[in-house]
Amino acid sequence: MIDALLEGLLLVLQWKAFAFMLLGIALGFWVGLLPGLGGVTTLALMLPFIYAMSPVEGFAFLLGMHSVVATTGDITSVLFGIPGEGTTAATILDGHAMAKKGQAGRALGAALASSLVGALVGALALALAIPVVRPLVLAFGSPELFMIAIVGIAFIASLSAQGARGMLRGFLAGGLGLMVATIGQDPQAGVARYTFDSLYLWSGLDLVPVLIGIFAIPEIVDLIVRGGSIAGEMPGGRLNQGALEGVKDTFRHFWLTIRCSLIGTFIGIMPGLGGAVAQWLAYGHAVQSARTVEEREGFGKGDVRGVLGPGAANNSKEGGALIPTVAFGVPGSSSMAILLGGFFLLGLVPGPDMLTTHLAVTFSMVWTIVLSNVITVVACFLFLNHLARLTVVRGHFLVPVILVLVFIGSYTANNHYGDVVLMLFFGVVGYLMVAGGWPRAPFVLGLVLGKIVENNLYISVARYEFAWLTRPIVLVLLALAVAVILYPLIQARRSRSRSNAHA
Amino acid sequence: MHSKASLILGAGIVLVSGAAIVIALDWPLKARLFPLAIGIPVFCMAMAEVLWGLLDPAARSEAMEFRLSDEAQGGVAVRRTLLAVAWMAGFSAAIVLLGFPSAIALLVLCYLRLQGREGWIVSGIFTLVVWALFYTVFDRLLHLPFPAGLVQGWLGL
Amino acid sequence: MRNALAFIAAFTLLAVAPRAGVAQPLSFEGKTITIVCGFKAGGGYDRTARILARHLPKYLPGTPNVIVQNMPGANSITAANHVYNVAKPDGLTIGTFNRNLVLAQLTNVRGVKFDQTKFAWIGSAASESTVLAIRSDLPYKTFDDLKKSGKTLVIGATGPGANTYDFPLLLKELLGVDLKIVSGYSSSSDIMLAIERKEVDARAGSYTSLRPFIDRNLVHPVIRAKAIEAGIEQLPVDENLAPNARARAVMALRSAPEVVGRPYVMTPGTPDDIVKAMRDAFSKAIKDPELVAEAKKGKMELEFMPGDEALRIVKEVLAQPKEIVDDFRKYIKFGE
Repeated sequence: MIDALLEGLLLVLQWKAFAFMLLGIALGFWVGLLPGLGGVTTLALMLPFIYAMSPVEGFAFLLGMHSVVATTGDITSVLFGIPGEGTTAATILDGHAMAKKGQAGRALGAALASSLVGALVGALALALAIPVVRPLVLAFGSPELFMIAIVGIAFIASLSAQGARGMLRGFLAGGLGLMVATIGQDPQAGVARYTFDSLYLWSGLDLVPVLIGIFAIPEIVDLIVRGGSIAGEMPGGRLNQGALEGVKDTFRHFWLTIRCSLIGTFIGIMPGLGGAVAQWLAYGHAVQSARTVEEREGFGKGDVRGVLGPGAANNSKEGGALIPTVAFGVPGSSSMAILLGGFFLLGLVPGPDMLTTHLAVTFSMVWTIVLSNVITVVACFLFLNHLARLTVVRGHFLVPVILVLVFIGSYTANNHYGDVVLMLFFGVVGYLMVAGGWPRAPFVLGLVLGKIVENNLYISVARYEFAWLTRPIVLVLLALAVAVILYPLIQARRSRSRSNAHA
Repeated sequence: MHSKASLILGAGIVLVSGAAIVIALDWPLKARLFPLAIGIPVFCMAMAEVLWGLLDPAARSEAMEFRLSDEAQGGVAVRRTLLAVAWMAGFSAAIVLLGFPSAIALLVLCYLRLQGREGWIVSGIFTLVVWALFYTVFDRLLHLPFPAGLVQGWLGL
Repeated sequence: MRNALAFIAAFTLLAVAPRAGVAQPLSFEGKTITIVCGFKAGGGYDRTARILARHLPKYLPGTPNVIVQNMPGANSITAANHVYNVAKPDGLTIGTFNRNLVLAQLTNVRGVKFDQTKFAWIGSAASESTVLAIRSDLPYKTFDDLKKSGKTLVIGATGPGANTYDFPLLLKELLGVDLKIVSGYSSSSDIMLAIERKEVDARAGSYTSLRPFIDRNLVHPVIRAKAIEAGIEQLPVDENLAPNARARAVMALRSAPEVVGRPYVMTPGTPDDIVKAMRDAFSKAIKDPELVAEAKKGKMELEFMPGDEALRIVKEVLAQPKEIVDDFRKYIKFGE
């Protein structure tokens, strides 16, 4: 095992593999920054280039590219409030709020440092999990996946707004997300649901245009209304020392970062949940970690913990997602599905062999994730403070560029004008939600999880009838869901009685 | 603004979920079960939300999220919001009429000249840079299929 | 001024050239040919298109640039409508779509704005055979064992319209095999995982996609559809076991498009010489040793079927009598 670990490292450090990894990082860097141009598509486009490479070189290239996408995607989310990737939308809530307070540097520093911690934890988990991978993944069947999705939605819906009315709106937004997710052909009877005879709606709504619309449009409108720069009239002097402060924040809340990394790794391991889920659960956990109601109210207005959580989780999930890919030949996410194509091209058969005969290759992947994240984060820090200066650039230079990115970013989802219409429609919805004080996070999570909830419920009932409700992990998750809903209520009551006691 | 937006949203959800329930009733059981199981509670919650808003209009509820800035107030804010909408609508129209490449150049140039009141030289150079980047990445490298605009079609190009 | 004149002259030439071009030999020099793929990047259709795009230029006159554009949506009806109605018949646009589009046309799916028989057919780049593979730790070795066992077999499927669902559905409905189809898995790889944890017993799918798992002895194939691939010749074929002609016709109809597994067409009205040049280029490129080596690495099996033969199969499908089509519709819905 230790031998394989070292051998894996030496494999990556061969100059050719290392050079390909650097090339991959350079590509992934830009892909992450540009909204709409996703990591998945780019992986698919780059696949043909690996024919001539050896397995280690090929994976250094693909994984190097893939590992940094989530890191640099955070940068776009923080600076402009546009999700750089579908998997980095949660960083917007507090990251962009910090940028508007003139703390862009600190937010970026925190996002990058937590990304690094997340990647390391994910890689470590991958390395440690190798002996227990099979039983772990096999313990989670369709009923368990259904329950995880339910816990996730309950978690976010109950946490993202305050008071009874806030909770009502949280669940309403979550339910709306689930409803929107039913658009398209259903997988049971093949009925085209809510498509109104339009071909565009047939395959359901694409996540990226919806995310871009709901998050970016309100920010753009607000930027135009304010008329200044993103960071308003804040003094620019503080931007320069910000990044280091963000790194310190990561260590100030070190255990939170670690816990969120573990959440990300776990979601990554579960095939079928998809990469967009991890960030929101981590965000929910970060919010929940606030001890008092007053502390909790700071979230969404620029609490650094709201950056650390998703920042860590969306990088750690990659290590996790490699686990089922390597162990079963079954991809844990859509990007892993494309990596799987890479396995074949390189003459490797993913499956139990990867944990025995090809263990060194598997470890070389772990090392690639670690090294490429370290390199990206170090490289980013060199010009992080310059990036942060973008937030004090006059608005009228930024607005047209952001608008172009927003329109093209959504158009690239299906190369169809329908994507742009969809983006604008959800832009209006997003604007109304922001104006009315409704939380957007539960809506997004509902949309992401809608198909998973419906399908896994059907599968559970079709396969096990009602016996699935008695499975032990299902029961534990059910208890967790109830606790998650009750917790904020109890917390509110306790703090109220405490303040009464003070008075 | 606050309660008005909530009211529009709540009423919208009541209508949409109501329609969704009615539409779903025609489907076979397996297809309609889930939309109904979600749609009915959403409809009820939306009704509750709307009633709450009507009965107690003063009650505010904050999401833990960014709030629209209140630097600009009243008429100014409304006027600027409409301006923002107009820019986006104009850009959308330009995309349909002229196609993406020309519309992008037009937007950047017009925005800088009209909204930003920059000089022609600054506007021109900035437009050129943005357009060149767009063209290299999305057209040359990624071969995105940008449909030609309607105007080009009318001119027979 | 001279430049402007030259520009106008070149422009006029470009505009006139295709019409006056009968006399000159065909050349794509300096042009870009676009393969419009009806699916997102990364899938089987896309990978096939990209491997062809790399090797086609060598065999086309004037070695043009060949690129792939993804136009996903509505199971590639959107892309087919585009190539049929919007693209110009100048040989610079090739379409590759869902093989089941012919069934969408047959069953009058709304939104179909093309006639498959009117496309200028280049041909098909591969045939895709569907098999049913069952878990190797089950006591049944052959399809006969399965039928005789008297036990219900649980099948994992994605949804109606996909071969993971339609193929076992016909086995159940028309051959009377005792199957329970559990539908709703988000991808075929999720079904494989369900097989690993013994949530389901079997899955249907293209032989290509099941190969790695068959090689690993996780599952083994027991029955296949008509389209044939090396390695599964000896398996029983579903339609040969049909109890009557009607059942046989329905099964044959479902599997017919699989023979034209990766269809490649051009806009109706594309000049014959261009179509011929394309067919030649495809047939040569698919035999190109470099392409063969790459395809083998990618576990893809490419085999060219010329356009006239593909068109013949398409016409045969569309010529089915109304009773059979109505019957077919009862079971099969067009989908992914």
